[in-house]
Amino acid sequence: MLERRLYYHIDWAMLAGVFALCAIGLAQIYSATGGFTRIYYTQIYGIVFGVFALLICLSVDYRSLADKSHWIYLGILLLLMYVLFFGAVRGGSRRWIDLGVVNLQPSEFAKAALALVLAKFFGESRRGAITREDLAIAAALAAVPLILIARQPDLGTAVTLIPVVFAIAYVAGMSMRIVGVLALVGVLVAPVAWKFALKDYQRERISTFLDPAQDAKGAGYQQIQARITVGSGGLWGKGFTKGTQGQLRFLPVAHNDFIFSVLAEEQGFAGVLVALGLYLFVILRALEAARLAKDRLGAYLVLGVLASFTFQVIYNVTMSAGLAPVKGLTLPLMSYGGSSMIATLAAFGLILNVRMRRFTN
Amino acid sequence: MAIQEDRRRITVRLTVLQVACVVVFAALGISFWLLQIVEHAKYEEMAANNHQRTLALRAPRGVLYDRDGQVLVDNRHSFTISIVREHTKDLDRTIRMLSEVARLDVNNVRAIVARHKAEPSYRPIVVVEDASLAQVAAITARRLDFELPDVVVEEVPTRQYPAESAAAHLFGYVGEVSDAMVEADDTLKSGDLVGQAGIEKIYNALLMGQDGARVVVVNSLGREISTLEEVPPTEGKRLQLTIDYDLQKAVEDVFKASREARLTNAGAAVVLDPNTGEVLAFSSDPAYDPNAFAAGIDRATWASLNNDEQRPLNDRALQGRYSPGSTFKMAVALAGLEEGVITPDFRVNCGGGANFYGHFFKCWRKGGHGSIDLRHAIEQSCDVFFYTVADKVGVDKINKWATLVGLGVKSGIDLPNEVEGLVPSTEWKRLHTKEKKWYAGETISVGIGQGAVAVTPVSMAVYMATLANGGTRVTPHLLKAVDDGTGWKPVPTPKPQSQVEIDPGKLQAIRDGMWMVVNAAGTGGRARIPMMDVAGKTGSAQVISNTGRVAAARSGKDLRDNGWFVFFAPRDKPEVAGVVFLEHGIHGANAARVAHHILDTFFAKKQGRPLPPAPTPEQLQFDFSDPFGPGRMPGQPAAEPEEAVNDTN
Repeated sequence: MLERRLYYHIDWAMLAGVFALCAIGLAQIYSATGGFTRIYYTQIYGIVFGVFALLICLSVDYRSLADKSHWIYLGILLLLMYVLFFGAVRGGSRRWIDLGVVNLQPSEFAKAALALVLAKFFGESRRGAITREDLAIAAALAAVPLILIARQPDLGTAVTLIPVVFAIAYVAGMSMRIVGVLALVGVLVAPVAWKFALKDYQRERISTFLDPAQDAKGAGYQQIQARITVGSGGLWGKGFTKGTQGQLRFLPVAHNDFIFSVLAEEQGFAGVLVALGLYLFVILRALEAARLAKDRLGAYLVLGVLASFTFQVIYNVTMSAGLAPVKGLTLPLMSYGGSSMIATLAAFGLILNVRMRRFTN
Repeated sequence: MAIQEDRRRITVRLTVLQVACVVVFAALGISFWLLQIVEHAKYEEMAANNHQRTLALRAPRGVLYDRDGQVLVDNRHSFTISIVREHTKDLDRTIRMLSEVARLDVNNVRAIVARHKAEPSYRPIVVVEDASLAQVAAITARRLDFELPDVVVEEVPTRQYPAESAAAHLFGYVGEVSDAMVEADDTLKSGDLVGQAGIEKIYNALLMGQDGARVVVVNSLGREISTLEEVPPTEGKRLQLTIDYDLQKAVEDVFKASREARLTNAGAAVVLDPNTGEVLAFSSDPAYDPNAFAAGIDRATWASLNNDEQRPLNDRALQGRYSPGSTFKMAVALAGLEEGVITPDFRVNCGGGANFYGHFFKCWRKGGHGSIDLRHAIEQSCDVFFYTVADKVGVDKINKWATLVGLGVKSGIDLPNEVEGLVPSTEWKRLHTKEKKWYAGETISVGIGQGAVAVTPVSMAVYMATLANGGTRVTPHLLKAVDDGTGWKPVPTPKPQSQVEIDPGKLQAIRDGMWMVVNAAGTGGRARIPMMDVAGKTGSAQVISNTGRVAAARSGKDLRDNGWFVFFAPRDKPEVAGVVFLEHGIHGANAARVAHHILDTFFAKKQGRPLPPAPTPEQLQFDFSDPFGPGRMPGQPAAEPEEAVNDTN
């Protein structure tokens, strides 16, 4: 299945970066949750399954995957609809399919599925530039899973689908005029969305972000605590498992949404630079894979999966420093979460897939 | 469209994305640099404030002992329940839940929290002082369930005073320091408990320990995780008082019996060692329960203490000014003798009254005493005799000698807020009254302790001590020794306030007269103790003039006379001196009966006899006959009412 020739073209450097990030995340989960807890082992299982997913995504030629992308896309939509009605409820959201031993979060896989179907759509387009019809179709393809996910409600994950469309459309040749128009529409729609589309707690989060002190005990609390956590870390940090903010739970969900804050606290600015460097390295290597891709399909596919990844990394890191409204967005590769880990590693499988098959026909 | 062009566009746009990524990551790096390096100090301090708490460990106050080493005032452990608002999300919910769990009035709790609203949120607001074990258990259970994470139960040392308000005015009480005091004294800090009255106040600096501190690590729920540093509190210095517990108890017992006999529930007693001024017993009635203050007094109790007509917060022994009546006569006699105006054999003929300066002043005995000398005049409390002596010696000499024996001046006792009595003089009249001029007629009333004369019970005790020791106006004091943890160190006896050589022969005449009051045909027979040669003098002093009495008769006020008994014993080698004052006790003889139990206890202890049991109300056999009671309204034909003399014995 995996030809020996292809094996040589695996991007080992990027893979090493990915696993280094996984290791850092695992260590910080150990620290934040206080040892070898159930959470710690769940994360290890997530990584192990993720490696399997990566291998699977690596072995099958991405072109044959793309050929079946509409089925994968439809399958994910069905799962999302299933979740909406029969999913397991946690923290007021219906996001999970309870498989007994594990809970599966289909929305995590929706990103890769959308990337696949959009890559195929734009990749097979014979027209040189993208028309508005193309954009409308792409938008519709993204809108269906987006709305389903937003209904869970999980606005954070839903929003990560948007960069997928944009990145692919942009590279696929969306005219700069449309980019400008869309940006303008975004600015105009924001107040309307503020008033009608957002729920109270979402509005609260954003308004608190603009002035955290107005609600230092409520929504602003996490943001202030995040800043304290990061700022108190200093240059070299307080030491592994020695962070006070995370260890004493001043920062909520330290092993999850705020894993990067804990890293910043315990490993300091030095640790932050290492982690940010690794992320940037992985992202740039992936963009390289897109450039090297044999066909447009490959390039778009890489871009699609990379877009949601990059968006999530940037947003989460910004939020970890208390510089963005708090949202339930995890840090890919580092945060605790089985589905996210598996889906992310699978996505990197696709990127590796595209890169290593750049010479095959 | 050429493939080449397609590829070039992709490459360009990918490069744009690449650059964008690098820029964004660089921006992130700079943001973290700003937070972690530039503003590090600020956030580090915030993190420390987050998880470190400095808790005050309240130092126990010094224990008070009596002269024999018996514990008088101790400390006990009590629990306070507080709200720490720091991590409270819904304060009202906490208040409601706490009120329900601890069975408190929710509005009351709200009011307490509102009062402390301005304080920093990490400082606990004490909602319940001295919580019951049931409250503590209920709250602890809820805390474990994370239902009341912002409620704290703390164990603190609390003052433990003797039961039944014993010696309440002597010990005083403690309370939270006022803001003004904190500003005036930089050793005090807000929230400290300081003495507010009595020994607790005057020796506060000794009694107050040094609070300790514990720096703890708390988690986000405010729960303590570990201790970083602990400075243990230093207990306050232990004080040994001059008080004799047994004698103090005798005083409390006999006053209690007086209350139960329904004679009076107000009065005072001070017992001294006449040779040193050591206070052996000290009491004022009615009293309050200092324990109620120890753990923070509630407003209702405070209001009721303040509004009580009997003014229980008032220390009658120290702050009550009363007319001394006949007990003043020894001071007049002393002035007459020492100024050479009379001799012990000086005689006056008493015909039941006498004319001075155009007014008739009557003797309490209608028939008169006939020809009477000093000793018998004291024994019989003959008014005419002392009118005559007073007239001869003059008010200023009376003032001089009364002052020398401790009347009309402060005793200098080591208790706060002592009030000065008054023995009038021409100078006093000139300086402090509108009339300015002293009339010779006024001196006559002063001769029997009436008119403007006013004394405090404690000064009367000093008066007796001075007569007992032959002229040394000792300073009454309560502190015998201090232990700062390195052993007891005796406190030097304070210097006497004044000293005068009284001619022993002249003094003996007065002492003999006082002995006869108790041991011969006098009015103090109830204080007699076989073989002990008790010397004493009764006194009954009107609380209102006769005209005033008629006007006030319907007001419902208690207009019965005050009863005095002053004493020392044994006559020739005095070991104890003191005073018993009964507000509205009607007769000096009733006070003498009260003094009997005190003296009996004193000598029993000294001789190693079993201490006499507390008297029952019946055993006191008080004389309830009121000379001014119904049917015996006074008709006063002779002297002007204000000058009228109604010293019944």
